[in-house]
Amino acid sequence: MLLKDARITQIIFLGLFLLLGVSTRDWTIQSNLILVVMSSCLITQWILSSVVEYSKLREEDSFTNLSSKLNILITPKVLTSLRSALITSLGLCLLLRSNNPQTMAIAGCFAISSKFLFRHHNKHFFNPANFGIIAALTLTNDAWVSPGQWGTDWWYILLFLGLGGVVLKQVGRWDTSIAFLLSYGGLEAARNFWLGWSWDVWQHQFMSGSLLLFALFMLTDPRSIPNSIKGRWIWSMAIAFSTFILQHYFYLSTAIFWSLFIVSPMTMLLDMVWNAPRFNWKAVQWTIDN
Amino acid sequence: MKTIRILLSCILTGAILIFGIKPALAFCGFYVAKADSSLYNQASQVIIARDEQRTVLTMSNDYQGEVKDFAMVVPVPVVLKEEQVHIGESKILERLDGFSAPRLVEYFDEDPCQPQYMMEDRARQSVALPQSAPMAKKAEAELGVTIEEQFSVGEYDILILSAKESDGLETWLIQNDYKIPQGAKELLQPYIKQNLKFFVAKVNLEEFDTNGFEKLRPISIAFESPKFMLPIRLGMMNANGDQDLLVYLLSPKGKVELTNYRTVKMPSDRDIPQFIKEDFKDFYTAMFQKTYEEENKQVAFLEYAWDMGSCDPCSAEPLNQEELKQAGVFWLDSNNFNNRWGGSNVFITRLHVRYSRDKFPEDLKFQSTSDRNLFQGRYVIRHPYEGEFSCKAGKEYKKSVLDRQESEAKILANLTGWKLKDIRDRINFVEAEPIQWWENLWN
Repeated sequence: MLLKDARITQIIFLGLFLLLGVSTRDWTIQSNLILVVMSSCLITQWILSSVVEYSKLREEDSFTNLSSKLNILITPKVLTSLRSALITSLGLCLLLRSNNPQTMAIAGCFAISSKFLFRHHNKHFFNPANFGIIAALTLTNDAWVSPGQWGTDWWYILLFLGLGGVVLKQVGRWDTSIAFLLSYGGLEAARNFWLGWSWDVWQHQFMSGSLLLFALFMLTDPRSIPNSIKGRWIWSMAIAFSTFILQHYFYLSTAIFWSLFIVSPMTMLLDMVWNAPRFNWKAVQWTIDN
Repeated sequence: MKTIRILLSCILTGAILIFGIKPALAFCGFYVAKADSSLYNQASQVIIARDEQRTVLTMSNDYQGEVKDFAMVVPVPVVLKEEQVHIGESKILERLDGFSAPRLVEYFDEDPCQPQYMMEDRARQSVALPQSAPMAKKAEAELGVTIEEQFSVGEYDILILSAKESDGLETWLIQNDYKIPQGAKELLQPYIKQNLKFFVAKVNLEEFDTNGFEKLRPISIAFESPKFMLPIRLGMMNANGDQDLLVYLLSPKGKVELTNYRTVKMPSDRDIPQFIKEDFKDFYTAMFQKTYEEENKQVAFLEYAWDMGSCDPCSAEPLNQEELKQAGVFWLDSNNFNNRWGGSNVFITRLHVRYSRDKFPEDLKFQSTSDRNLFQGRYVIRHPYEGEFSCKAGKEYKKSVLDRQESEAKILANLTGWKLKDIRDRINFVEAEPIQWWENLWN
């Protein structure tokens, strides 16, 4: 069943969030920009995964004619990889803001390209959407993210927690979100206690829809985060710690995205220390089927 | 089973987050009374001009009490020297308010029987604008309070204080005749811990009387800091209930938004009945209150986002370079008034925040974006053509006006929460005869 692929579930949920954001939270993102992001992600993914398949086949030297070359473009492997690209593009639409199509296209292309460029032992270590956001923030001067865009309504918080739980159950990466939320919440609580703010300040910070969406849907990309549970705990705590520092000592409103970007390369190191089987979308599907 | 457990635990966590922690009791102002007086600042106006880390902050409020009782305590990120403090004129706030206020525009219908040669936009300019209503004793060292700077500017005597403990600061303020509301200590503590300084101003009565000022002038401070925020928590110490704050944010980039609260656009571009021309203020106040309640009282409203070089329609002339300088815009010189996009180098964002202690627990944090999309609070009234009709199209026109008036009534009821019946009673409906089905058949 199609829904057994966690990517499809994720696409449905992210699509729903985008629809809710545009219709109820008066976001500024225009439909043409959504199209630009989607097409730039999908096209980049299609071309690059075809190139990868092509180079594999050439090594095996098992084809000769033009039609078999062209057949690469429609192999199931290339086509199913488009699902991940769609998730990345939805992530970008939810988080990145710009009024310039070129900026959105740059974000899409960089996001997907990062998966093919930054690899270690055949595994990419940057979260593609996050890489796209950082690329747009640094390479252009007309991109921004709006941390306040979801507000702190309980209705959205429960929706994110509920749907996030479903996806995390499917991919088995709930530990990452829990580790992040516990350590980040803990650090904020300690600061709050030290400053002497009342607890509703902490509550208000913690109920930010943007923070939860990040923790449940971006931090948990099973393909780019460490394979072992221990590795993921350390990795999440490192992100929580650097978010806390960047936010309160460098006053960066984009702290969470910068933290994930800075800590991502640690994945390689953590995978070397703690060995665990790599995540595979198909493996998950197989487990569920059986 | 596992899914259900995860879902249940999520819902439980959510419930604890929402209901488990009760908010602390309400507090109140930017401004602190020096003696007992009825000093409630219900509407403050602030201009923040910011480029990179440089900020010019201009503060003003509609202080109603005796001038001799006035005093204010504002947390500031750095120690300010005399040269960094400037006393401006209230006029500049009135100018910014007038330029950015929500506007009512009116259009007059053409005679439906006259051919129209050109699509001339006969919009007349706005009539009514809801203009907003325009700090021996124990030694300092012993209390941990240091007077970092002390000077007088205009009618104000200013102190820049740093403190080690909120107890000491509170005692110092009380010893120096500043009437501190109860519980101020708890609110001052976090600012001291964050190493913020305290800008304390009171009125020099001699100076005030000599110069014959009628009301207190706004104070501007210039400083450099990575913090782009506005402390509102102290501001909740001396006011009852909800407080209104208008923030005019001037940036060379584009729109400014809040990062820890949602920034929501006010409803705009709606057609409303003609009688609102006389009641625009009531209309806007009612609509604001309704929208504020619908958004659960925890958002900031965007009332205006525009390039300072133009306006359409203009509710007031755009500010000239001199006025922009008075508003704190420091990045202008005669050569770079226009930027490379053809717009001016100043973009204004008008945010209207109605806050109370329970819905706004945190100070306001801002960020400037490169969003240069224009937005204004604009409301339209359309006057029907009142002359005689010399053609058959007149009959159809009247019917269309009647439909329009009906829809305007519904829009107004929806925006303000006023009763539809009351609205209908005030509308001068046109008299339209029904059009029979055969009339268009044998034309």
